[in-house]
Amino acid sequence: MEVQSNDERSFRLVYEEVFPILMRVVYHVTGNVDLSEEICQEAFIRFFDKQMSFPTLNDAKYWLIRVSKNLAINHVKRKSREMSMVEKLKKAPTPHANTTDGEKVLMEKETRRLVQEAIEELPEKFRMVIVLKEYSDMDYKQIAQVLNISESNVKVRVYRARKMLESILGQE
Amino acid sequence: MCVDDELLSTYLDGELDEPWRTQVAEHLQYCQACRLRLGQLEALHEKLQSVALTEGEMEGSRERVMAFFEATKFPAVDTKLSFWRRKFELKLGPALLSAAAFVVVVIGTFVFFSPNTPQGQEILPGVVAPIDSEHIRQVTDVAKPDLGMFSLEQIIQHLDALGYSVKIEVKAVTPLE
Repeated sequence: MEVQSNDERSFRLVYEEVFPILMRVVYHVTGNVDLSEEICQEAFIRFFDKQMSFPTLNDAKYWLIRVSKNLAINHVKRKSREMSMVEKLKKAPTPHANTTDGEKVLMEKETRRLVQEAIEELPEKFRMVIVLKEYSDMDYKQIAQVLNISESNVKVRVYRARKMLESILGQE
Repeated sequence: MCVDDELLSTYLDGELDEPWRTQVAEHLQYCQACRLRLGQLEALHEKLQSVALTEGEMEGSRERVMAFFEATKFPAVDTKLSFWRRKFELKLGPALLSAAAFVVVVIGTFVFFSPNTPQGQEILPGVVAPIDSEHIRQVTDVAKPDLGMFSLEQIIQHLDALGYSVKIEVKAVTPLE
């Protein structure tokens, strides 16, 4: 199915399918929900305004992931020093806010903080690969296409990212 | 000999091709160390999955961003279309109006100045019929008012009031003294 990016019907289809993936990927690069929303919106604005045609929905998805990933990395590079850890925590989402089990919520928040910090510690080329692997529902071949690297390179980077994360989280 | 760590990572992702996949699966059946290592990698994967944004957490964002597009981008397409349509109407409007006005004027002229209509006879009787003995009658014989009842000045005033441009030319057969 051909996708015309500025056609409302096509746009809605792509949006329903890709928005959650973009949010997850961008969130695990930036660590901030509000910022992730802003970046996803910007990516979709570019998608709509450029009036592009994609042979399949997957091609549109790869384009959107590539753009939002670049926007997220650029933003992190520019703003990382400006954002304090306090602000990050303040803006972090509060999962299962309706639960009465306060301790469980605290533990989940703590796990999220630790994992997010560990991901942020990874060098960019490993961070992007593991984030795409874990949060975009894409296989090695698709990740390779998005990042414009070889499939075997994706395989190696995923493995190395895992080793690094184990090491970082093991130290916590 | 145990399975390479990287192969286990690839196996975990379901990306290991045959025949290695079957070989690793068989090896895991009897190698506790490799099962333990695979378990560690699985635990890391589950930990990462457990902190993924849930549908509920991003619902607000999804709605806000879509609302932004509904408010700014989608109507913009309609506005753009109607703009062109409006522009098209603006272009056609005066042309159609001019054409219609032209038709009305032409038809009106024919109706108004047609020699066979009462209006034509009333305004320009001299043109309607030649002036000869048959057509000359006494004013008193005519019950219906006609041009003879009015002075030249009155006729001119009347035509002027109707908006006609009246041009009078006087030609004399013999020079005036």
